[in-house]
Amino acid sequence: MKVRNVIIILAILLIGVSAFAKTNKVVCSGSTTVLPIAQATAEAFMDKNPNVNISIRGGGSGVGIAALQNGTVHIANSSRPMKTKEMNQCRAKGIAPTAYAVALDGIAILTHKSNPVSNLTVKQLKAIYTGAIKNWKDLGGPNLPIVVISRDVASGTFEVFNEKALGGAKVISSALLLASNNAVVTSVADTPGAIGYAGLGYLGDGVKTVSVNNIVPSKATVQNDTYPLSRKLYMYTNGKAKGAVGSYIAFIQSPAGQKIVENEGFVALK
Amino acid sequence: MVKPQLQTRKLNLWFGKNHVLHDVDLSVYSQKVTAMIGPSGCGKSTLLRCFNRMNDLIPETRITGDVLLGDEDIYKNGSDVSRIRAAVGMVFQKPNPFPKSIFNNVAYGLQIQGKIRRSELEERVEQSLKAAWLWEEVKDRLNQSAMSLSGGQQQRLCIARALANRPKVLLLDEPTSALDPQSTAKVEELCLELKKSVTILIVTHNVAQAGRISDYTAFMYLGDLVEFDKTEKMFTVPADKRTEAYLTGVFG
Amino acid sequence: MKTLKEKLFQYITYLAALFTILCMLAIIFGIFREGLPLFRVVSLKQFIFTNNWYPTHAEPAFGALALIVGSLAVTLGALLIAVPLGLGSAIFISEIAGSKLREAIKPIIELLAGIPSVVYGLFGMAFLAPLVRQWFNLDTGLNVFSASIILGVMIVPIISSLSEDALSSVPSNIREASMALGATRSETIFRAVVPAARNGILCSVLLGFGRAVGETMVVLMVAGGAANIPTSIFEPTRPITSTIAAEMGETVVGDLHYQSLFALAILLFLITLATNLIAELVFSNRRR
Ligand SMILES: Nc1ncnc2c1ncn2[C@@H]1O[C@H](COP(=O)(O)OP(=O)(O)OP(=O)(O)O)[C@@H](O)[C@H]1O
Ligand SMILES: [Mg+2]
Repeated sequence: MKVRNVIIILAILLIGVSAFAKTNKVVCSGSTTVLPIAQATAEAFMDKNPNVNISIRGGGSGVGIAALQNGTVHIANSSRPMKTKEMNQCRAKGIAPTAYAVALDGIAILTHKSNPVSNLTVKQLKAIYTGAIKNWKDLGGPNLPIVVISRDVASGTFEVFNEKALGGAKVISSALLLASNNAVVTSVADTPGAIGYAGLGYLGDGVKTVSVNNIVPSKATVQNDTYPLSRKLYMYTNGKAKGAVGSYIAFIQSPAGQKIVENEGFVALK
Repeated sequence: MVKPQLQTRKLNLWFGKNHVLHDVDLSVYSQKVTAMIGPSGCGKSTLLRCFNRMNDLIPETRITGDVLLGDEDIYKNGSDVSRIRAAVGMVFQKPNPFPKSIFNNVAYGLQIQGKIRRSELEERVEQSLKAAWLWEEVKDRLNQSAMSLSGGQQQRLCIARALANRPKVLLLDEPTSALDPQSTAKVEELCLELKKSVTILIVTHNVAQAGRISDYTAFMYLGDLVEFDKTEKMFTVPADKRTEAYLTGVFG
Repeated sequence: MKTLKEKLFQYITYLAALFTILCMLAIIFGIFREGLPLFRVVSLKQFIFTNNWYPTHAEPAFGALALIVGSLAVTLGALLIAVPLGLGSAIFISEIAGSKLREAIKPIIELLAGIPSVVYGLFGMAFLAPLVRQWFNLDTGLNVFSASIILGVMIVPIISSLSEDALSSVPSNIREASMALGATRSETIFRAVVPAARNGILCSVLLGFGRAVGETMVVLMVAGGAANIPTSIFEPTRPITSTIAAEMGETVVGDLHYQSLFALAILLFLITLATNLIAELVFSNRRR
């Protein structure tokens, strides 16, 4: 009986205390590319600021932006700049999206380890992905049909690749469209004729990275913008980020936050 | 003395540890109706099922003694069970037609036996249905499901199905217990007609029925064949007290 | 007092049923509302009968023929594998195995049904696809063949357990009748028992079809995702489900691409509705 009373009193106390403690809830959702960055930085941020509670969901850039438009999230994570149409929708709903760059991401071109081809030009990439070149022998490699692997046409990674490497051209319809960076890396790793692409953060040991226009994808070449296939990752807020949201984004952009970004396999802003 | 069509000699049967049949010596004569009567659980069905080896399907069954079909010992090693079963037709208590057309029900046994010309098949099906007095009722709807027939018709279909194989013996296990009086009368008459060409062994709980249709009666009690004789004789002067008690309704 | 309780209980169950139906209606309403506007821009004929899926291109194209063919290809492939396996094990469990063996095998097959589809997908991607590529000396193992195998194994439990129910519910006197006419055990199974269970078996195949055509994770991971009409079973394909799953996350809500994915959902809904209706018909036929 006594034990039970103690538990009840403790429970009441706990409820009382937590009701008085000030908690700030930050909700963000969007790009799955940005997800690991958001998660890791949020954990570190909450350690230092226990009164802030950040909850993070994936869903994809489009989903995050839609959620921002509907006012259900404070932050929309996006692996691409907002589209004009999305901007217009925001304006129509009285939302003023503000972009904060939080990290850089390079897209690496991957081939099978046994493939001797070590450099491709952006032009050649376009020829491969549109089906103009179908065999590695036309690129100075072995006589082996090229297995073209791409990300799903709706993914942020595809969008950047499509814009930077293909100039908006249509990917050949026989290309394998895979749903995640990991799936691309795994498939390239065990397909001798494969070519694929994935964010720098996802490279494994099983694949070979080729240089593009003779520039090797690296932290330096992405930061100084010489590597052709790189992009910025964003967090969008409604208006200028204030309060807990503002300090969370400021934390990500700070040296401590950028260190976490690098640990997650992305490239720091500076 | 006429040679029996079916005969058991010192037949014993066990289901696991349960000793169901004790030293049964029974003779069933050709072109006669033999009835088996006795209280529930005494082993009538079990004995009946010895004649087409249907007891083989029950696990842990053990049999000693002989069962003869004509001259053939049907339990001898290496005998062809399928052929024996085809040569001994069986009709069950509850009508059990296949959920197929009337025609295919009767044709089933013949098709199992092997390839047969369509014209011959049709002829045999017609003969069998006629022999079971069903032809006139179904000849215009042979392709309809057998399930659309009445219970009595279904039972006669089962008889036709068994007859299609042209068996020497027809085993009937309480064939009328699920039927109405009219259908029962029809099946009884049919038995009297059929005995001209096949040997009939029928299990029944209905003593009056045994009296109406059988030439011989076997009375079983607790796994023993207590008495076997001409029906008129047994029904008038039973030799055993237990037979008398059963016939007069003291038990059973 | 008692009647009040009774009434209350009835109302609660009534509400529960009503709520379920409402959910159903809401889903149908939702997908039609979001999907139908596509057909103001893209004709139905164009959507279903042209092979041209470039939803995010500067001049987007929404010809879903390759996706439809892809869904049907992997589903039929799965049935080719699952029907013999499922029916075979159902026959074994119901007709041949002794009761001890049956008690051992049934849970194992049912366990197959409990494995999450993402695990099947992972297995297919990491183990089966590389093997398939090596065995048949292909460019890639992510293709119709691999997806069909995995999907097929996945729906074996459905076909096997429903067929087994159908076989077991065939009255044993049918088996006796057949044996007594001189049929062997296998003749009895194939000529008497299986035909008697035909509708139940057909039902199980239809439900297996419905499950396979709606399965998403496995095809997303194993079918390869190329939006072209496969000319052989060793080519990659992109079923409807994986298209929706892969592309929905990144679309702009309300634009044509978004609508086209809902239109695909309508298509999928109609396909599964049709199979369910047919199964229902077959089933009620069986009860008659
Ligand atoms: N499949 C079986 N497995 C084990 N024992 C059985 C089986 N069938 C019958 N028996 C046993 O064999 C004995 C004889 O049964 P049987 O069915 O031959 O009796 P019956 O005379 O036909 O009875 P009823 O008039 O009720 O049909 C009974 O003790 C019964 O319990
Ligand atoms: Mg009996």
